[in-house]
Amino acid sequence: MKPLHARYPFLQSAREAVEAADVDLVTVVREEEAVRTRALDRVETALDSGRVGAPHRRDRVELLSYPVARVLVSLIDEHVLTRKYARAEAATAHERFEAEFTETTELKSRDREQLSIRTLLAEFGMTEGVRETDDAYSVAVGTYLAYATEERGDEWRLVNRTLRDGEIELSESELLVLIRQAIRDRVDEGLPLSVPDAIASHLDAECEQIRERLADLDLTRDIDTVVPDLFPPCMTALLDQVQKGEHLEHHSRFAIATFLTTIGMTTDEIVELFQVNPGFGEEATRYQVDHIRGKTSPTEYSPPACSTMQSYGDCVNKDDLCEQISHPLAYYEAKLDDADEEEIIDWRERDETAQS
Amino acid sequence: MHERTQAYLRGRFGDHYRNQSIDPPPGANEREWGYVPWTEGPGETYSRHNAMIDLGALEDFLARERPKHVYFSAGRYDNPGATTMNEKGWRRSGLIFDLDADHLPSTTPEDSYAEMLADCKDALFRLLDFLERDFGFEEMQIVFSGSRGYHVHVRDEGIQRLDSDARREIVDYVRGIGLEFDELVEEETVAGLGRKTPAENRYLPTEGGWGGRIHDKLVSVLSEVRDLPEEEALERLQEYDGIGEGRAQAAYNLTQERFVEIERGNLSAHAVFAQLARQFATEVVAEENAQIDEPVSTDTNRLIRLPGSLHGGSGLAVRRVPREEIDDFDPLVDAVPETFTNHEITVEVTDGGTVELGGDSFTLEEGVHTVPEYVGVFLMTRGRAEKGEE
Repeated sequence: MKPLHARYPFLQSAREAVEAADVDLVTVVREEEAVRTRALDRVETALDSGRVGAPHRRDRVELLSYPVARVLVSLIDEHVLTRKYARAEAATAHERFEAEFTETTELKSRDREQLSIRTLLAEFGMTEGVRETDDAYSVAVGTYLAYATEERGDEWRLVNRTLRDGEIELSESELLVLIRQAIRDRVDEGLPLSVPDAIASHLDAECEQIRERLADLDLTRDIDTVVPDLFPPCMTALLDQVQKGEHLEHHSRFAIATFLTTIGMTTDEIVELFQVNPGFGEEATRYQVDHIRGKTSPTEYSPPACSTMQSYGDCVNKDDLCEQISHPLAYYEAKLDDADEEEIIDWRERDETAQS
Repeated sequence: MHERTQAYLRGRFGDHYRNQSIDPPPGANEREWGYVPWTEGPGETYSRHNAMIDLGALEDFLARERPKHVYFSAGRYDNPGATTMNEKGWRRSGLIFDLDADHLPSTTPEDSYAEMLADCKDALFRLLDFLERDFGFEEMQIVFSGSRGYHVHVRDEGIQRLDSDARREIVDYVRGIGLEFDELVEEETVAGLGRKTPAENRYLPTEGGWGGRIHDKLVSVLSEVRDLPEEEALERLQEYDGIGEGRAQAAYNLTQERFVEIERGNLSAHAVFAQLARQFATEVVAEENAQIDEPVSTDTNRLIRLPGSLHGGSGLAVRRVPREEIDDFDPLVDAVPETFTNHEITVEVTDGGTVELGGDSFTLEEGVHTVPEYVGVFLMTRGRAEKGEE
């Protein structure tokens, strides 16, 4: 196992090195505390700082901690964790190779195997879509879009790029951002893994620690609990209409979608919920929800206030609590506060129990 | 629609399909197929999630079923006949653009069918300019939709696996949505003689992208200004927002003395140049964007009308138009199916008016008329006539 693999454990060659070394993951998680600890560190640091932390001094531990970290993430299987973890692995790798590329020749250690842009492009099948020019790179529009769409910021929007004959000129540092996204996709690929019990059973303590860390995270912005019984009457009415398959005006659809997004439902969950309604095409719903979420637009939308709901005729079945609040979210928060912990059964968890 | 009308149309659509060979799209077996049969009553039944294997050979199917409308999916799947997208197993998808007269801001309900289609063709040329010059797409099929517009099918390998978000970027590009003037501008450091600190020059790209389009417009307007008598030039410049006498003079001087800076797109040449460029950006987007129907292009599972089939709401053919023939293509003549050009039929017109078709204009009042078959079919498919007794 080479230092290069420890630094960039997502590389195909790193995976092959692990396979060639005939490492048994069950034995590793059972017997190698250092690997378990470093794997936990990767995941926790991802949650705390969006990076995966300082490498372990032993290459073997560092390299093996990567597959174990992916196992941990799979065992928790929370969308927010998976996303943050993949992002953190990519961010750390990006910082490492960016530093390597800008080091002056004298500083480069002679015996360390270096990663080149060319190698990275080949790794992710991007060679064909990227052409080196005098002082920059010409990137095929398909390659650009496959990796740039997730980037925030107007400068990444295709409309603001000089697109000519199917190519876009990128600086080296911009190209490295695309590679960072390719790494993110690679880390994310296949997650959650299905983890055999023989492995899972040795990671209970680590999983517990991550769950606690997740629970501690300040999620004040999200209410993140979906309990329809506590929804304000306006949202209950809209949800009812959606599920009966009735046609909803754009403003009504916007209201219910932003509300569900804000309380923590994922796009997939909302799409699934809306799918019973033939009036909502899956792609269109997905696009709208992603847009509201701020994924495809610079703005994250919040649900309309009571006054807006009233002017659109979406304010119905007002009750006593409605008189005291001015925003549907405030209604829901107040209800959540009032309810006993035990009474709150997240809809999604309830569904899972019903299915299993 | 009366039973007799429907039976007639279905029969004649069948005659058309028996005499017509239709090239299926590449990978026809991996696509979902959909069609609308002729049915009584006002509603339409949409048969979806068919695989080629269930329908049989395309031409046989068309001749046998004689559908009112036929579609295939832009997407290609592991199991095209499955009913949910998850089970279908998406593999790839061509990129579809749909230009429909209904979506063009320049058309109004008062416009004639021919006027709407002409507007649509202008939009098609604007779209193709983006697809060819900017995107460099090479495998494109241009199709008259059989009704109110055009479809462009892009089949280049590079776009096949893009997801919906990535396709949204392409849509935004041709629509000019999200364009930020300052993001188009490139900065270049100039280390001039005698300068202690290097200066930044701001340049508008002169070729490619929206920057290039804005630059083209600047050069064309400002070269006109340059060649005008000074007084007229100044008046012309003052028509722009925020340009008073002083700035107009500065802009005019720039055109006279340093036109090369305009050609270079050097926005730092003078504040007024940058100011004009910013204003032109808005105008250029409004004039040159292509108003495609957005959800069609972002949907990787979209069903789209089969080229070569008949449109059941017009009786016109969904016709491929070779790139070099677009200019001369007149949908109201060239999309009239040959099957319907050889004889006359009797129809009872229920909703009269003027029909421009086949290079002729027919003004028909309500009542029984004998008309060329394509006119009769057009009126019947649009619900404006019933089949009369021969």
